[in-house]
Amino acid sequence: MEQVALEAATHDVSLWALFMQAGLIVKLVMIGLIGASVWTWAIVLDKYVSFNKARKQFDQFEQVFWSGQSLEELYRTLGERQNNGLAAIFVAAMREWKKSFERGARSPIGLQMRIDRAMDVTMAREGEAYEARLGSLATIGSAGPFIGLFGTVVGIMTSFQAIAGSKSTNLAVVAPGIAEALLATAIGLVAAIPAVIAYNKFMAEAGKLNSRMEGFADEFSAILSRQIDEKLQPRQAAQ
Amino acid sequence: MKGSLGTSLVLHTLVLTWAMVSLSAPAPMTVADVEALPVDIVPIEDMTMMMQGDKTAPMLEKPAAKPTTNQKIVEGAENAGENDVDLKTPPTPAKRPVQVEAAAAPKPAERPTPTPTPEQNEVKDIAPEETAPKPTEMAALPQPKPEPTPPKPEPTPAPEPTPAPAPTQAEEMPLPSSIPLPAAKPKPEPPKEQAKPVEKPVEKKPETKPAETAKPTDKKEGKKQETAKSSSSQKSDFNADEIASLLNKQESSGGGAKRSTSPASTGSTKPSTGAKLSLSEMDALRGQIQNNWSTIAGIEGLQGMVIRVTFQLDRSGMIIGEPEVTSTGGSSMARRTMEGGALRAVLKSQPFKGLPAEKYDAWSEVAVNFDPSELGL
Repeated sequence: MEQVALEAATHDVSLWALFMQAGLIVKLVMIGLIGASVWTWAIVLDKYVSFNKARKQFDQFEQVFWSGQSLEELYRTLGERQNNGLAAIFVAAMREWKKSFERGARSPIGLQMRIDRAMDVTMAREGEAYEARLGSLATIGSAGPFIGLFGTVVGIMTSFQAIAGSKSTNLAVVAPGIAEALLATAIGLVAAIPAVIAYNKFMAEAGKLNSRMEGFADEFSAILSRQIDEKLQPRQAAQ
Repeated sequence: MKGSLGTSLVLHTLVLTWAMVSLSAPAPMTVADVEALPVDIVPIEDMTMMMQGDKTAPMLEKPAAKPTTNQKIVEGAENAGENDVDLKTPPTPAKRPVQVEAAAAPKPAERPTPTPTPEQNEVKDIAPEETAPKPTEMAALPQPKPEPTPPKPEPTPAPEPTPAPAPTQAEEMPLPSSIPLPAAKPKPEPPKEQAKPVEKPVEKKPETKPAETAKPTDKKEGKKQETAKSSSSQKSDFNADEIASLLNKQESSGGGAKRSTSPASTGSTKPSTGAKLSLSEMDALRGQIQNNWSTIAGIEGLQGMVIRVTFQLDRSGMIIGEPEVTSTGGSSMARRTMEGGALRAVLKSQPFKGLPAEKYDAWSEVAVNFDPSELGL
């Protein structure tokens, strides 16, 4: 009992002491915000790595694609492994092409449509993968400060109640409670600021990748339609 | 994702542990050590009636200054303190009490001085007659006492001389041996003559030295000089003791000489001020008159007019005789009108109430100033 009184009198204001002095709600808010911060940075790291990888893959694939290598060969090498990005679109389109063409497609228009559809679907899936979890970054970025503020308000409320109880307005009595409450807002901001920055950056990057995929899909679709025309013309001529 | 989540967790733990360790409590603000000024809200009467006491002591029934250890009684002293001389300045703390070391050495040598007791006795025989009535004037004459204790002069002078400046004491050292020779001369001289043999054989000094030797004040010589002074310079304000203790560079000067034996209690450091009407009582009196003062609207020429009504009150608050009204400023017409109004107001408001009977002396005669330009309308 005496020890407790002594500790209260000295008012340790280090971070850990502030955290331990906080009430249950404020503690929960702080823990939640720290968790949000952990999650934010996990997403940031993950996205950073995966976007870098995707960009590199795009570059590589474009290099290979435009190197004049036969598309059949490229399809054969790529078809066996897990693809994403441009390669996935290419493989999807080639698969559709092969399926339809090997069995002897009747209508070039239908084939074209199917290929486009397949590419669209793959593109959507890939784009979704790029934007996955960016939503939670947005949520943390916008809600973090509010959650922190909530913790602060509750903390200040309780500390004012305590002050009313102690009947002392000495700043030394008031200050630790307010400092402890403000810690909640600080953690909220620490979580929210990187989240907002990362969200904006990754959204822009995902948009860039998407437009790149779209451009590739359009180009590839044009190439394929030319091929279809070339391949179907002799047949029709033979008939 | 798992990998990056793990990395993020590890990074957060690292950052948080670093924050816990290095971002510990920020250095507490170094607030300049300002002494808190305790402010008490005290009714103004209490303030004006404050008695001498100790500001920091708790309130007791009887105000008293800090108990003093120096029990030598100085008659007529007004300021509480340990000093031998009654001074208004607060005592300055001595920086190094050891500095008086020069004076400490002579102590043993002092002992011999008592030997010329016959001389002392002579001095005392003469001193009492002249000095006894005077101490109040001097305020600081250290020893009117010795007279009651002629048989034991040794203990009292012995402890006191220690603070005395060294030079004079050094001069006194030869005292015992040389005393017999000058003994025949007038009393104030013996010390000086002994001093002279050491330094200069010139006989001039006796006249100048008395003032210098006055510094020790505690010595028998001091007494002698005082006796001389009291006889010669009774009327002058010059207090050699006071000056000497202010000039004394070795010992802290300042502090009163009023002794206190009772425990310290709240009060002012200044000697108590007499009974005087406090502000609230003044206000009450003024308010009573003002309530009855009806000014006439629309009078011109009130600018700068001041009407002064002087009257005497008896103990029941009734006016004795006729109030005397004088006024200055403004036009003569307006002045006459306002004079009448002021006089009516004063007469109407008697008997005055709320005046403390014990302060009758303070309110027996009252002068009230009316300022129509300020209060009127």
